Amino acid sequence: MHRFLAILERDLRKFIRNPLVVAMSLLMPIIYLVILGNSFQGELKNLPVAVVDLDGGPYSEKVMELFRAVEAGPATLDIMQVADQGFAMEGLREGVFKAVVVIPGGFSRDVMRRNLSEIGLYLDNAETISALTIRASITGALSALKDEFVSIREERAQMRLRDIELYKKIDYDQTLIPGVVIMAIFLGAMTTGAFNMVMDKFLGVEESYFLTPLSKTDIVMGLIASGLLITTFLALIVLFVGSLISGLFFWGGISFGAFVLMLAVIILSTLGLQGLMFMIMGRINHPRIVGVLGGFLNVILFFPSGAIYPIESFPGWLKAFAFVNPETYSVHAMRALLFKSAGLQAVQGDIAFLAVFALISVLLGMLVFKRAL
Amino acid sequence: MRAIETTDLVKKYGELTALGGVSLDVPEGEFFGLLGPNGAGKTTLIRILTTLLKPTAGAARVMGHDVVKENALVRALIGVVPQAMTSDLDLTGYETMDIYARFYGMHRKERGGRIDELLDMVGLKDRAKDLVATYSGGMRRRLEIARGLVHKPAVLILDEPTIGLDPQSRHVVWELLERFRNADKLTILLTTHYMEEAESLCDRVAIIDYGKIVALDTVPGLKKQIPQKDSIELGVTGVDMERAVEWAKKLSGVTTASYRESTLLVSADHGAEAIPAIVEGLRGMGGRVARVMLKEQTLEDVFIHYTGRPIREEEAKKVSFLLGAGVPTKWGK
Repeated sequence: MHRFLAILERDLRKFIRNPLVVAMSLLMPIIYLVILGNSFQGELKNLPVAVVDLDGGPYSEKVMELFRAVEAGPATLDIMQVADQGFAMEGLREGVFKAVVVIPGGFSRDVMRRNLSEIGLYLDNAETISALTIRASITGALSALKDEFVSIREERAQMRLRDIELYKKIDYDQTLIPGVVIMAIFLGAMTTGAFNMVMDKFLGVEESYFLTPLSKTDIVMGLIASGLLITTFLALIVLFVGSLISGLFFWGGISFGAFVLMLAVIILSTLGLQGLMFMIMGRINHPRIVGVLGGFLNVILFFPSGAIYPIESFPGWLKAFAFVNPETYSVHAMRALLFKSAGLQAVQGDIAFLAVFALISVLLGMLVFKRAL
Repeated sequence: MRAIETTDLVKKYGELTALGGVSLDVPEGEFFGLLGPNGAGKTTLIRILTTLLKPTAGAARVMGHDVVKENALVRALIGVVPQAMTSDLDLTGYETMDIYARFYGMHRKERGGRIDELLDMVGLKDRAKDLVATYSGGMRRRLEIARGLVHKPAVLILDEPTIGLDPQSRHVVWELLERFRNADKLTILLTTHYMEEAESLCDRVAIIDYGKIVALDTVPGLKKQIPQKDSIELGVTGVDMERAVEWAKKLSGVTTASYRESTLLVSADHGAEAIPAIVEGLRGMGGRVARVMLKEQTLEDVFIHYTGRPIREEEAKKVSFLLGAGVPTKWGK
């Protein structure tokens, strides 16, 4: 019993003697939150669109007004009126404009005669997300024209869609917090526990441990315990600081019970990832391999976790991976606890999965670890 | 009881035989030296005795316990100072000792006194609170020796403990080993390829080469076994050299004699004792002795006699094809 505590103490002492690593482990997930939160804004803004008005009639003026309204209001579009269609198309190809709207000659006449009136929309569909947004925004703007036009003729009961948000207003930055916490846990698991063992092997220090009565269980347990303590500590700090930066102030919003559940999710996620690292790094003796694996593992565990994009939209094979990915359950549980005031009922499935995953991975990690040179 | 006992110990790495049947007996309290060129199998033998490697065949016992079947017991009874520096740079000297003591299940009260005593003995008391990273090579080695003794082992095993140390540090280590040996009635097994180290410390020495013990005796015993003796060179004038050689050969203790120009070359069992008689005799013949040079036989002569002169082509270290020279897969040096 005392023996594994000695390993634990060793790792904690070594950890606090590397303040730079401590700072990096804290800063990286937080910087990630800031950068991701600001680059992937929930709604796109200021997309440059060129409008070529070949009509010059009253209805093309009207269309322009509607576009300007979008520009002034939600600011999704940045409208630029261009006289020459060729110039506009060149700009689209060069990426100056994300789309070109062409109002053909005779547009106003066709509208007045109630003929089929069409507006041309050229989209830079190499950028799928902005193309989709522009189409939706322009269709929306034009529907106002149609409504007005139609409304003169007949009054109809209109169907309107009004968003009703289930939970209190959540900013995009805030929805990233569970992802950032799981990233802190991942980085922690990557740089403590099993990694200390890889470094011991690399530096040749492990020989001196194998010469003592320490058992395999003592060594693995000591390393995992120190990794668990350090990582939980880092994850909690990242949770607090991330919450502070994004203005979530979760401590005002969640109950003590929910916080305890949150802690349980963090601890179980850490244990699971620590075990996973032992399974993967148990036989590795060079930090360079850990570096390569680390970047790779982070991507394949983090992105399919639902932390930034909903799992429901994944293709089947990726959904299947998300189903066995422990980070999926951590993110789901943390999101429920942070934003939906959920109780045990809502997260017990996640907690059960994480607990089983932790148990299996720690046991397998112990199997993979070799107490020999 | 035998502190260390091995019978026909064999270790093979695929085709390669690192140990080809080693049988050793080291009684309790002995200071035993294991001498051999690089790649002779010293470290392999040490790693088997310290439970890090399993032998391919044969058996080894430490303090009566089998190193394979009772490895945990053996580990608790031995203190080891590995060849490479293996202390954590991010810990202080005291922490290193304390954490190790806990690996052996020592209680707080037991630990404190023992650690202070040992750090004092190895001269690191004042630096106990400094990080190991600030220590010199010699200090680190002394700390590792102290670390190996923290749990009061019955047997201390050191693998080339003075390799890479300056002469001052080397002498400090020797003094320490002598002191620990006398204080704790310790059995010490030491590998080295420094002849003076074995000569000044060891009760008995085994010379190991190509995985086999080629000679085993006390240092004087080993010296007796080889034909090369002390050699004396005398610069002589005023005598017939042929006559002087014939005369010298008849002296007791002299094995051979010859001459080269005006230098008389004599081999003797005890050169220092033979010199006065030789010088007097030459004077009696009317000669004048201008200079005398004595080269005493050393353990190095014994070593070279048994292991030969050619430089060893060491077995190429295995390097991972996939990982390059990151970490060579080491085995017994």
